[in-house]
Amino acid sequence: MALLINCPVCGKRNGYEFRYGGEDKGPRPDDESLSQASWCDYVHNNNCVAGIQKEWWFHKDGCGAWFTIYRDTRTNLEADTSADTSIPEVK
Amino acid sequence: MDRLKDLPTLRIRTEDKVSFKYQGRALEALGGDTVATALFANGVRIFGRSLKYHRPRGLYSLDGECSNTMMRIDSVPNVRAETTSVKDGMNVEAQNGLRRQGFDPLGFMDALSWAMPAGFYYKVFHKPARIWPVAARQIRKAAGLGVISPDFEMAGRYDEIYPHADVCVLGGGPAGLNAALSAAESGLSVILLESRPWLGGFFDYRSKLHARAAELALEVANNPGIRVFTNAPVVGTYSDGLVTAFQRGSKADCFDERYIEVRATSTVVATGCIERPLLFENNEKPGVMQVGCAHRLARSWGILPGKKAVFSVGHDLGLEAAIDLADLGLEVRCVADVREDGQDPRLVGELQKRSIPFYRGWVATQAKGWNRLRSVTLGSVGGAHERRFDCDTLIASAGFTPVWGPIALGQTKMRFDLHTGFFLPERMPQNMYAAGRLLGLCDPASIEASGRLAGLEAAAGRGLDVAARMSAAREELEALPGTVRGSKLAMAPVKGKKAFICFDEDTTVKNIDQALSMGFDMPELIKRFTSAGTGPGQGGIPGHNLPLYVASSMRYQGEVRPTSMRAPLVPVLVATYAGANHDMAKRTGLHESQQAAGGVMERVGVWIRARRFSQEKSARAEVENVRNNVGILDGSTLGKFRIHGPDALKALQRVYVSDMARVVEGRMRYSAMCNEDGCVIDDGVITKLGENDFFFTTSTARAGVTAEWIRYHTRYDDWDYSIVNLTDAYGVINLAGPNSRKVLEKITDADVSNESFPFSCVRDFHIRSIPVRAMRLGFVGELSYEFHVPASFAQSLWEVLEEAGKELGMKNFGLEAQNTMRLEKGHVILGSESEQRTTLHDIGLGGLWSRDKARWKTVGAVALTHTEHQRGRLKLVGFKMEAPASKPPLDGSPIADGRVKGYVCTARYSTALSQPVGMALVEDELAGEGCRLPIFEDDCGGRLLYAKVVPMPFYDPEGKRMKS
Repeated sequence: MALLINCPVCGKRNGYEFRYGGEDKGPRPDDESLSQASWCDYVHNNNCVAGIQKEWWFHKDGCGAWFTIYRDTRTNLEADTSADTSIPEVK
Repeated sequence: MDRLKDLPTLRIRTEDKVSFKYQGRALEALGGDTVATALFANGVRIFGRSLKYHRPRGLYSLDGECSNTMMRIDSVPNVRAETTSVKDGMNVEAQNGLRRQGFDPLGFMDALSWAMPAGFYYKVFHKPARIWPVAARQIRKAAGLGVISPDFEMAGRYDEIYPHADVCVLGGGPAGLNAALSAAESGLSVILLESRPWLGGFFDYRSKLHARAAELALEVANNPGIRVFTNAPVVGTYSDGLVTAFQRGSKADCFDERYIEVRATSTVVATGCIERPLLFENNEKPGVMQVGCAHRLARSWGILPGKKAVFSVGHDLGLEAAIDLADLGLEVRCVADVREDGQDPRLVGELQKRSIPFYRGWVATQAKGWNRLRSVTLGSVGGAHERRFDCDTLIASAGFTPVWGPIALGQTKMRFDLHTGFFLPERMPQNMYAAGRLLGLCDPASIEASGRLAGLEAAAGRGLDVAARMSAAREELEALPGTVRGSKLAMAPVKGKKAFICFDEDTTVKNIDQALSMGFDMPELIKRFTSAGTGPGQGGIPGHNLPLYVASSMRYQGEVRPTSMRAPLVPVLVATYAGANHDMAKRTGLHESQQAAGGVMERVGVWIRARRFSQEKSARAEVENVRNNVGILDGSTLGKFRIHGPDALKALQRVYVSDMARVVEGRMRYSAMCNEDGCVIDDGVITKLGENDFFFTTSTARAGVTAEWIRYHTRYDDWDYSIVNLTDAYGVINLAGPNSRKVLEKITDADVSNESFPFSCVRDFHIRSIPVRAMRLGFVGELSYEFHVPASFAQSLWEVLEEAGKELGMKNFGLEAQNTMRLEKGHVILGSESEQRTTLHDIGLGGLWSRDKARWKTVGAVALTHTEHQRGRLKLVGFKMEAPASKPPLDGSPIADGRVKGYVCTARYSTALSQPVGMALVEDELAGEGCRLPIFEDDCGGRLLYAKVVPMPFYDPEGKRMKS
């Protein structure tokens, strides 16, 4: 895997050490507000952005932390967005 | 054949004799030979037959750019003889219908080439459709390269390494060596990859530069900052500085081939050039070879390429080779150079001195001969003059092709450079630098200087302050000769039909013309329609000529673009990717005891466990012993976790379907976890150790991902808890059977009576001096204790229990007996009685789900609500076989109306019930009590087995025995 990932605990590590945890969709909505359709949409549907996306990764062969990174899905490079707030959160 | 002797450039060890077999004949080679050079030295001139026309093919380059020299070596097909070192005892066989040198029963195919225009296979064999299977069989027989036996097993030792460096230099020629040195001298760590067995590149075999190459190689070897991999071709380059390669090992190495994955901050590409093939009639006859091939054969391996040679070249290296080979004893009939001017005058003078006729602006137009070259016709580029020369060797080259694969993989566009005639990158990919010949440089000093500059650029890219040295290096490079004007000639002035642009696929220039006239106008499309460049050598032979030729045609309007490069740049054995393939499994702390007791061990997930303790497959004696007496089982593989911290309870509420607030100290609770779809993924018991402090078990298979799962589903909550995986830290011993209390009472002072330690409770006490956490569980349906002890105590506890149980006749039991007994109790094993789509409701455990904990957003709760009354789902049922004497089905499916209606999960013969019982997931219309299940299984011979759905558990439905 060419991807390098910045783990907030362990630093920059090889992508092999991590497991992908999907797009960042925000916390689960409350049960009451959910219909079957909106529930399926939350669980199964993704935005599949061609560009910079916020996503979850798990450091399985490392510290065992879940964290988010920004990744450009076109270049498969982690995007440095620490100072950039213009990137919209994927909802 | 006698080799040339006493050349300083030689790479063979004359004292080191190697014997190998070719087509059953024993031949001799020298240490340092490749299979190709060894065969050439033994007089082999025809190395293979072409794919389509079965034309004889010989040695053309020495770097394996085409399929000409692919052979079957030690039963492995399609091995490139040119890049494989010959080894003692090697068995080499020719491929593709080449039974004997010089005769091929399918040789007549060449005469039929007129009937096979471009796109022949696409256009001819599809109408009517029924002829394709017949035609395909015949085509495959005639074409196709290599044969592999279905029983073939790959031998050899394979390995993999993942080194890191600041700079990865691709190519160990003069530019690469200098780049490595200047980067290392700046304090960076460097990895150098070279595909040939030695460093030096195109300096190595040239008499005046060989010493310099040796000097550079020595300097690199003595530099502790540089790690060199020779025999290591680059396979791919990727983002974030990843370079993949593989390395061929020698006898002294611990591998035959190993995968190399280099992670570097910067990459220097100094891969140099290969030669651009010259297109003329019969340009691939045995006897026609490239300049570097002929020159290296003589200088590195001491073999003259022939007796009488004609040269048709397009660059100064060709002139140099002609002079050098003439001095080594080759009769050079004449030298033609496609360039009208621009030659190095000193080289022209040297030719004159040796009275070698020199034709400027001339080129080979036709080679004649069948199995061997007999004569060559040269003509002026304009086509006005022609002359014929008898010869056995034609050394031909149109120019150079930069090896830009590693750069192109960085997703940069290549543009045609008018001066050099090269495709050069529009801009370099990030953190990648190029140096040397692939930029169009030819002067040795310039090449070295450009290497030094690239090494410094890499250092600057790494953030080092090398500005002063960089500008000095740049000035030095600018003062030296720059890039050389390259020959752009694509095609000699010939009218023939057999000028091959791609050797692997037998694609001729005529085929390209046909494709153009059919309206294909892009190299990418023409490549696919004519298959030029789609063979094993990929773009090695046609990569440069195809776009040049297409661009030179009148029909082409666009910009000149080469076809795309993709990894792997060179073919790699799948075995190399598979690597050493270590089979790793875990053993419990009781492994040796189990084995000594006669345990039949087998792999279960990541663990090795005892399946049974006798040869009898159903382990009936073990079952009966537990049911009537007492047995002991190693259950250490169970997943074991502690979770504690202020928000530990919240985390458990999130992942478990039951209400975890009801877990109280001293009592266990059985519960399950679901995924978001309500499908059950894990079950186990939870015990409370204190406020917000819990110990829980998971299934063996799930233990590896439990912590990840809980953390994932609480990732937005910022809850404060810690989870510790104690699976390997604790051993588990299960004591089960009606007599188990009698065993336990002998060895503990604790009160273990049914009143003070009842079913479903957990107690901490000591057995002798061993601290145990004991749980009263009923997985097998009898009075049973599960002891959790620190793993280092497991063996001691085992021995204490064995000793105490001896007089009662306590015996080991294994997984098989456990499985039968839990089946009789209707207890599920997730993964056996469930699959991806099975919800908690389907498996009959819906009662575990607490509906009134929505505020905890329990994982799967929403889906459990939605699927609770859903129809058409597979439901878990128990069944008994109608005929008590019938065998239990091994697997199989209930079928009705000719359709599969589910499948059998587990079925065993039940001693307690004296008949086979089982569990199955079946469609809900068959799930009602009393439904008849017609079961089909593979070896039932068409006779269905009949079973009836019955309520579970089968054994001791009230649970009196396990609660006793």
